[in-house]
Amino acid sequence: MPHPKLELPINKAEPLTMHIDLNSCFATVEQQARPLLRGKPLAITNRLTKNACVVAASYEAKVFGVKVGMTFSDAKVLAPNLIMLETDPPKYHWVYQLLVNIMQSYSPNVIMKSIDEGIINFNPSGTGFSRPASGGSSTGLTPWNSQSENSTGVKAQSLIDIGYEIKRRLRDEVGCWMRCNIGIAPNRFLAKTAASLHKPDGLDIIDHRNLHKTLSSLKLIDLTGIAERNEARLNACGIYTPLQFLDAPADVLRRHVFKSVCGEDWYQRLRGYEVDDFESSVKTVGRQYVLDDMQPSEETLRSRLAYLCETTAMKLRYKGLCARGIMIYLLYASGDSWYERRMFKSTFFSNAEVHRRATLLFNRRPRNGFVRMIAVSCYGLEPSNISQVSLLDEVNKEIWLTQAIDEINSQFGEFTVTYASSLNAKDVVKQKIPFGSTRYFELLLNRA
Amino acid sequence: MENVVEINKDVNIVAYYFRQGVKKLRCFPKKMEYDGKSVVFTEQGLRHPTRQGQRMIHVFDMTDGNADYRLEFDAEQLTWKLVYIADKVFGPMDEQYTAANLTTAAT
Repeated sequence: MPHPKLELPINKAEPLTMHIDLNSCFATVEQQARPLLRGKPLAITNRLTKNACVVAASYEAKVFGVKVGMTFSDAKVLAPNLIMLETDPPKYHWVYQLLVNIMQSYSPNVIMKSIDEGIINFNPSGTGFSRPASGGSSTGLTPWNSQSENSTGVKAQSLIDIGYEIKRRLRDEVGCWMRCNIGIAPNRFLAKTAASLHKPDGLDIIDHRNLHKTLSSLKLIDLTGIAERNEARLNACGIYTPLQFLDAPADVLRRHVFKSVCGEDWYQRLRGYEVDDFESSVKTVGRQYVLDDMQPSEETLRSRLAYLCETTAMKLRYKGLCARGIMIYLLYASGDSWYERRMFKSTFFSNAEVHRRATLLFNRRPRNGFVRMIAVSCYGLEPSNISQVSLLDEVNKEIWLTQAIDEINSQFGEFTVTYASSLNAKDVVKQKIPFGSTRYFELLLNRA
Repeated sequence: MENVVEINKDVNIVAYYFRQGVKKLRCFPKKMEYDGKSVVFTEQGLRHPTRQGQRMIHVFDMTDGNADYRLEFDAEQLTWKLVYIADKVFGPMDEQYTAANLTTAAT
């Protein structure tokens, strides 16, 4: 049966989606905290070693060509005066909280996409916006239920005022060095594109009036979601510019370029229709760690494994989940990799059970060289039945022991009660910043 | 790498407290006595709270224009601790990056 043909005009709805992005977030926050670092090339990394990669670079460093993902030694060649700092998660979390507070004072319909960017949806079909509770609005904004509003709710002009007010409040409430990019558009994709037009302190609107003009000034890889491979796919079908991408029929994008429903998503996305407002569920919970020792001993490996199992189990319980499956992945120094996974009949959630089942698999690993990376991942997730008293006494004892340990660790700091075997790992394995989501941020913060 | 000297010692602090309308009480550590010297802070970089178990610790990143100082205020014990001093090798702060100039430029 042929797929129904999709033909849509450019979305002429008012731009009511606002994307806020703290660019170079970690570097900017460090420069805010340390005034002497302002105006200097600065890079943030998770570890202060020469092979650690840059997770954020200040604008001064970016001028020299320093990019996120580069190793410190490469970055240092480009910018000899580069200053490298280790991440400080509590600091970034505080700024994240302040940013969320500011955003939520305009609308309860706020979605944080990651630690440094979020979306405010002003669409009245969802929820309206209110004036800031304190600090006051200096712009005389029109509330969405006012009589002077147009049929779509908030006026586009008001959103520009709100955007500038958010910038001002960020400087007032966080610090004078803080800057953010703001993009306003009918959908999330175009709002993010608008936010990247004038870094580091821009405010842009994309709507049906300037869509063609804006896209004509961009390259394909400037679009979020189009990197080298997707660019090659588009080029292979004769699409070389965003304007050609916009003009391509949905059928061509679906059948020939992306060969999936993604083609139709792109067709709608570029025209200003919302296709990205879905929530993904958690399918796996896990942790991975690149070993600090190039030639790790058996004892070191087991110590790091115990630590990873412990933190994975903590994540499981934090999300109120238990798992039935577990996977171990090892990457060797030679570049070879090995993994094994197993599904169990019973569910598990405690540190001891995750460790026991992971060790079962870990003991079956091939001994062909030094291990460089260990990953532990739990799958087959289902809601935890930890509050249900079991008929089996040993299950109840396991639950009570786990709850008692969690309570002690919550009161006196994480890892107050921990495995003896993972004791030295606690000092070596540093917490990382979750870029993809902020699902575990509170948990990570407790461990700081 | 930068020049960070870890101290982790209790220090004496003279702090100012401000209240603006309904906003919470704000604290600004003004002067510190450490190792027989007194340091007068000129700017607060960032203040953020953090937790050690159930204890609330307020972290202050301060500068006197020549070096950055990290202070921790224990809200339970009411004690101040100097965590580290960084970084005298960069020299005095450029005038254009001071809070006063930035605020003027922003408005």
